[in-house]
Amino acid sequence: MFPAQYEDLQIMSHAVIGFPSLEENEKAIAGLAEAGVKLIELQVPFSDPVADGHTLVNACYEALKHGGSVQATLDLATTVCARHPEVTFVLMSYLNPLFRYGLEELFEKASAAGIKGMIVPDWPVEEIEPWLPTLDALGLSPILMVTPNTAAERVEKIAKASRGMIYVVSRMGVTGHETQWGEKFQHYIAEIRKHTDLPLAVGFGVRTAEDLNALTGKAEVAAFCSQYIEWQRDEGSEVAANKMKSIIQEIDSPQA
Amino acid sequence: MIRSENGYFGEFGGRFVPEILLPALTELEDLFFGLRDDPAFWQEFVTLCQEFSGRPTPLTPLRRLSKQLGGAQIWLKREDLNHSGAHKVNNVLGQGLLVQRMGKQRVIAETGAGQHGLATAIMAARLGLEATVYMGAEDIERQYSNVFWMRQLGSDVVGVTTGAQTLKEALDEALRDWAASVETTHYVLGTACGPAPFPELVSYFQSIISDEIKEQSMRQMGRLPDEIVACVGGGSNAMGAFGAFLETPEVNLVGVEAGGISLEDGKHSIRLSQNTGETGIAQGYKTLFLQNDDGQLGDTHSIAAGLDYVGVSPILAYLSQQGRVIPESATDDEVTEAFSLLMKTEGIIPALESAHGLAGGFKRARQMKPEQNVVINLSGRGDKDIFTVARAFPQREWTEFLQREAVRSTEALAKKRGH
Repeated sequence: MFPAQYEDLQIMSHAVIGFPSLEENEKAIAGLAEAGVKLIELQVPFSDPVADGHTLVNACYEALKHGGSVQATLDLATTVCARHPEVTFVLMSYLNPLFRYGLEELFEKASAAGIKGMIVPDWPVEEIEPWLPTLDALGLSPILMVTPNTAAERVEKIAKASRGMIYVVSRMGVTGHETQWGEKFQHYIAEIRKHTDLPLAVGFGVRTAEDLNALTGKAEVAAFCSQYIEWQRDEGSEVAANKMKSIIQEIDSPQA
Repeated sequence: MIRSENGYFGEFGGRFVPEILLPALTELEDLFFGLRDDPAFWQEFVTLCQEFSGRPTPLTPLRRLSKQLGGAQIWLKREDLNHSGAHKVNNVLGQGLLVQRMGKQRVIAETGAGQHGLATAIMAARLGLEATVYMGAEDIERQYSNVFWMRQLGSDVVGVTTGAQTLKEALDEALRDWAASVETTHYVLGTACGPAPFPELVSYFQSIISDEIKEQSMRQMGRLPDEIVACVGGGSNAMGAFGAFLETPEVNLVGVEAGGISLEDGKHSIRLSQNTGETGIAQGYKTLFLQNDDGQLGDTHSIAAGLDYVGVSPILAYLSQQGRVIPESATDDEVTEAFSLLMKTEGIIPALESAHGLAGGFKRARQMKPEQNVVINLSGRGDKDIFTVARAFPQREWTEFLQREAVRSTEALAKKRGH
């Protein structure tokens, strides 16, 4: 399930369905679960992923060549949700593939597959609000994004529509670059907490053990995604899972 | 001019963007909504277009060609005579006024044929702004002369190498830049697409075209034209040519899409006319997109880089659904034929994009009576297409010249490096 507010930092990582292949996805997810990753985003690949940096853009293109699709994501979800009950699976997608599939049917099938939440970066809160009764009935949590330039009254609105957790975009820009975790960031987090009791998942620029240490005690979830996909791309899923494991051990038993 | 309901035109439009872009879009919308009904602002815009871009552009009768085709009288609205060589500059100058009011120091743009990028580079140079233009690597190859001029004007042209490397990918990349730079940068979107308020805002500035057509028709024909024809890529020149006539049902409005090579997937850019496009939500807005069953946006083809786009203005999708705009298409071959016909009969060199309007307009004019009038929006001039056209009409002398020129250019570079 999603962590409780102020629970110790958990890691959320990522799978782009079809990258590097559908078979490899299953193994990679098993590796992440074994490494101690508590939440995994299952990303439906999309031809035009505008909120993603080049790592995920290229992974999407590869994934589409290797059978990645909404249906493949639902099929994989059914398998991995049953196999890894200790992991919370979240559907991540741009809106169009879901829209084409049929939103209502998609929500039902995702919920039936065992998916607990949804991250859809180009689906604004105003468009989500009418779906909340349906999503609540299905137990499918919309995890909305807050960004550093989101005005307070909008944070309030987003917090109201969010379920499970809120995705805090750490900085301006797209996924896959570094972020600073200084005073300004802490102030940003504190401002969001004024509007919600939900746990916060911080993403964009979480790439190292230092980043995770910096987030310990500040957020409940760290989204460690692009860096993991780069490891997977360059060194294979097994090495990537091992690296993830050692990084998680590092934050569990801090050196200093 | 058409107005949206909360950013929507019927079921199309909206604002489907990552949260990070929302404040800039609302800021832009607030500014635009505050200015669009202000006659002084419109006058400021019109004056700028006169002083800088040579407006009003003429309405040119094609006497010889009309007679030859034997149908309606054909007139060209000469957007090709704008500074920068296309209608794109109208929108860019308008957005320049907004940039000045917002106090932003940097602009970014996506471009297909390079005309919008070129117009943006010109505006940025004139206003002393920093500019980055995103252009598909494939389009850079097709429209290198525009790339050359953008760089000479001081803009940074970034080749986009993802996907099919055309306009769609350039737009994605511009949105990514904007997500990082939105507080200091204005995104000069080049067509009547994208998230609200862009479709409405771009159509507003481009409607200067139809304002002029209206006035010029009354003066030159003594009445309004029977039909207005424009090519449709994203839809900005079409919205510009149609805007002032939307409430005048006796004037037919015809949009000509790129029929490419065939109706096979990936071989054309027809979204409106053959039931090829289907409702989707991407690139910040809802419209008819070429896409597969999984909602992945499709590949497109057109001989004209500026029409090679997967979506279409939500306003045109709506007007076409309502039956107000008649969708047509023209194939690459029909386009080169119309291109050649206009050049040889009237001495005007059209852009390949605009030649789609010509092909569609000529076809329709033939079926009409000599007392009827058709206005075709000649959205841009063809100089930029010299390399593409040279391949369509191969000439030994041209190829030999290019070989000699390559040698001279290499020598000039070596000499520069030597110093």
